[in-house]
Amino acid sequence: MSSEFLICIAILFGLAAIGAPIALSMIVGAIAYLALKGQDLGLASEQILQGLYNSFILLAVPLFIVAANIMNAGTISDRLLAFCVALVGRFRGGLGHVNVIASLIFSGMSGSAIADAAGIGKIIIQMMTREGRYSPGFAAAITAASATIGPIIPPSIPMVMYALVSDTSIGYLFLGGIVPGLVMAGVLMTLLVFIAKRRNFVVEEPTPLRALPRLTVNAFPALLMPVILLFGIYGGATTPTEAAAVAAAYAFILAAFFYRALSFRSIYDILSSSARSSAAVGLVIGGALIFNYIVASENIPSAVAGAMRSIELSPVAFLLMINVLLLALGCVLDATTILLVIVPLFIPAARELGIDLVHFGVVVVVNTMIGLITPPYGILLFVINATTRVPLRSMIQEIFPFLGVLIVALLAITFIPELVLFLPQQFGYR
Amino acid sequence: MKKLLNWLEARADNVAVGLLAAMFLAFVLQIVSRYVLNSPLGWTLEACLISWVWVVFWGSAFLVNDQEHVRFDILYSSASTRVRKIFALIAAIAIAGAFLTSLPATYDFISFMQIEKSSVLGIRLDYVFSVYLIFAIAIIVRYGARIVAIFTGKFGEPERRL
Repeated sequence: MSSEFLICIAILFGLAAIGAPIALSMIVGAIAYLALKGQDLGLASEQILQGLYNSFILLAVPLFIVAANIMNAGTISDRLLAFCVALVGRFRGGLGHVNVIASLIFSGMSGSAIADAAGIGKIIIQMMTREGRYSPGFAAAITAASATIGPIIPPSIPMVMYALVSDTSIGYLFLGGIVPGLVMAGVLMTLLVFIAKRRNFVVEEPTPLRALPRLTVNAFPALLMPVILLFGIYGGATTPTEAAAVAAAYAFILAAFFYRALSFRSIYDILSSSARSSAAVGLVIGGALIFNYIVASENIPSAVAGAMRSIELSPVAFLLMINVLLLALGCVLDATTILLVIVPLFIPAARELGIDLVHFGVVVVVNTMIGLITPPYGILLFVINATTRVPLRSMIQEIFPFLGVLIVALLAITFIPELVLFLPQQFGYR
Repeated sequence: MKKLLNWLEARADNVAVGLLAAMFLAFVLQIVSRYVLNSPLGWTLEACLISWVWVVFWGSAFLVNDQEHVRFDILYSSASTRVRKIFALIAAIAIAGAFLTSLPATYDFISFMQIEKSSVLGIRLDYVFSVYLIFAIAIIVRYGARIVAIFTGKFGEPERRL
């Protein structure tokens, strides 16, 4: 590791710490590194541009963002919610269960935890806090916790990023996330049952069973979306990137023609806000491309692998260490930065230790999603705070039990690779 | 002046929406041509990639403001106004300085790319990549303006995207 590299790191983290955009901090750090090394400063723009222009897989990112925004604007979220209320709203603490199930289904379409929390989460928090049935802090905490499932169940923007840095198959990664996503939903709902009993939560007026068929029909086209996506990818019909476009197109057709919930103006607004989010995410990816180029030219990943070899770390100890490290980083960094900047450092070490890279990918994605709700820096908490005005303090007071069970789920996924690998193997993974 | 900037921002937004819509349509066209008509079009994928690069840098240049960027702002938002000013000044000088210093080399790389053309549409890559220059200049201007604002006591007024 050269002194130039240490300066580059110091600049990156120094600028990021004082509130400069992370993407620009990475680019500035990279330019400083190139200048100190006496290399061509144009290399920064070259790596960023060539990287973005040549990776087909990244096109899935803006398309999934568009799809999620269409679903939030086009009443698709509302219909799904009505369906979930009818299904699990009848139990004690029912709206909490609705929250988890809705996240589970919605996550089969959007690929972004933030879209989940901002869209469906906002509506459900309003439902839960109406007439003071649940405290706003509790409603917000369960919403944040269940939104972490979003990017574990395919499709998933974070998994696209992991596939980019690790060269693993995005199709197998998506498949590998399905069971862990269900496990996460399972532990959250189990916890809810306990909390509901202890705090004696209200039992909702059950939706009459004869309304269920109508609500199902109403939500059916939306429920079909994950099926179309998965069939498209695993039936071998489309690539995951094309599936992202199909998802967006399907959401558009549903919202515009079937549910008639989109005006020309709202389509424009959807595209405008999607363009902003895509640009912000794309720029971070660009910054990570040049940063990873420097990391690779400094041979950092193989140095890390060498260090792991010399201390004779077992694969289990390695995974445990990575989990602790990433959870700690998740308290202060966002998931995109961790996946694009930190995780690549450890991929060669994981490979050398014989850890399956699809398993490793799902573990780190689950881990970084938990990082989205760890205080003090948890993007999901901020998003919910911004969209619902529930104070951060009351959310943070309620979040710890949820955090606890999600970490238990993470450990299960870490130490039982079959939870991740069973489904991909059914579809011909090694 | 304010009116003009508002008007320009709305037009920049139009361009970004147009680019994203074009990307989306090209992708749909690609899927339809490949799977429905069974005669894949070659140019659609390239059109997508080009519009993606443009959405990223055009958007980052003119539309994404500081709040919308991915950033870590715990220290910043808990600091006093005075400290914030110092933070913002250091960040602005570093960012404007780095982009300005690398601007000539960036220009060299991008104009060098005129020797290459995109493989299907045959668009010169210096045109495709030129949006990065627009982005770099916009960043220099924006953070340069912030340095000026800090020294003239105008810092803290709501910042424009453009």
